[in-house]
Amino acid sequence: MKHSLSLQIGPVAFRIGSAWRSPIEALARLYAGYPDPGRVCDFTVRLEPEKPWRRWIRPSVAIQGDYILPDAAPMSLAHGLLAAEMGMNLQMALGQKSHLLLHAASVEKDGRALILTGESGAGKSTLAALLGERGWRLMGDEFALLGLEDGRLRAFPRAISLKNGAITVMEREVAPQRFGPRLDGTPKGAIRHMRPNERALEAMAEPAQPALVLFPRFGEAAAARGVGQAEVFMRLTQASTNYVSLGAAGFEALTGLVGGCPAAAIDYPDTESAIDMVEQLWAEAA
Amino acid sequence: MSGTDDSKFVPSRRTVLALGAAAASTVVTIRPALAQTAGSVLNCEIPVPGPQAAGSYVAPDGSLVAPGTPGAAPPLLRPLTGEQAKLLLRGSTPPGVNPQSAQAYANYIRRLQAGMSGFTCYASLQMPR
Amino acid sequence: MAGARYVADPEECVRTVALDGLSLLFHRPSGMTHIVAPPAPQILEALRLGPADAGEVVARMRAWYDLEGDEAADAVEARLEELEAAGLVRRT
Repeated sequence: MKHSLSLQIGPVAFRIGSAWRSPIEALARLYAGYPDPGRVCDFTVRLEPEKPWRRWIRPSVAIQGDYILPDAAPMSLAHGLLAAEMGMNLQMALGQKSHLLLHAASVEKDGRALILTGESGAGKSTLAALLGERGWRLMGDEFALLGLEDGRLRAFPRAISLKNGAITVMEREVAPQRFGPRLDGTPKGAIRHMRPNERALEAMAEPAQPALVLFPRFGEAAAARGVGQAEVFMRLTQASTNYVSLGAAGFEALTGLVGGCPAAAIDYPDTESAIDMVEQLWAEAA
Repeated sequence: MSGTDDSKFVPSRRTVLALGAAAASTVVTIRPALAQTAGSVLNCEIPVPGPQAAGSYVAPDGSLVAPGTPGAAPPLLRPLTGEQAKLLLRGSTPPGVNPQSAQAYANYIRRLQAGMSGFTCYASLQMPR
Repeated sequence: MAGARYVADPEECVRTVALDGLSLLFHRPSGMTHIVAPPAPQILEALRLGPADAGEVVARMRAWYDLEGDEAADAVEARLEELEAAGLVRRT
């Protein structure tokens, strides 16, 4: 394609092609310094005009690639960066086979990983982003990759997708040059992408042993309760797009994770109390 | 933590085993939210409510409430297909769905967020043509 | 009174992991995962001795456990139907 970029993110290599320059430029800025794959890529994403003339007239971006959603509506060129990110999400959600894929944020300390999982909007991306600036290493905000052979978590540090109020929270914490453009009017409201910090990038290839699973929920008075292992297992299968297709290997990996890790559900009224609870539960799990 | 060994159920003799009522349920099967491979949106499924809230009723605004709450819609016996979900989101009532419950189910779907294994199913439903 | 006779797959077909009072079962022939609560795992154990109807399953389990609950055969019959729907047992 006319414009393209190859990116190595954790164990996955993407090639993103585009009929327009601007999304590739925005991606290159956001992912400056990420390794070049230097080999055949695992997944391809292509941003294409929906009809040939829509390349120039009211430009309309359709997300194509190795894996697609056939009915998806096209997006405006102004949201091209978002389209590229959604394209990468789609490849992972539909095509990932070498790891058990969990919809979860994860951070690491001392070689051990904290997994934050649960419904979107519960604030796990924001919590992970904040922890990443408070002495933890960010492994990922969207997907956690569980190794099928060794049960360790692999980092997948994509740009963090911040929505609405979370954008303001992180703008207060982090230098402006780590942000992509603010995109208003998306189906989820305002979105702004934030680059992981140097520590996350340097340690991208280092796996971590899962040590604690948390189900955070925003908007309630601070509280924590243990979660039964069978319930954790059930919830994690719901948070995985490829559990079923991995068969026995998926079963072993997930039962291993659940059997080896304590789990808790935490309710929190604000991010500071969430971080306090996380630190406390982490100390107890050691 | 314990529990990951290949354990057979041979507990010590004379343990009490409760058989439960005939109407109780003891088997839950993990169901894929996506079809086998790259998704046709027609093959995705949305259970109403999701398995972690099984039994809850759906209030008109789409939130989950206690079973039997007046004015709330009951859980669906079968998950919604992608096509049914699309019709609901457009304000129609698909065949097989009670018209009085349609709005509750539609609002429930709207409240579903990406991040669960129904992620791509919901993502495609979010972007109607 | 004899009801339907059921048979379970041999032990090698099912991978079992016990967690906090429940069992996770991976059924290799179907590739499906089930979470089962007592008495379902115990019923599967009883069936591994050979095909049986609900009454015979109750008798086998009585040898191992003190059974609690009224209408034992009805309760076990209902569990067998559930296990059949899940593909873990089938009628002979």
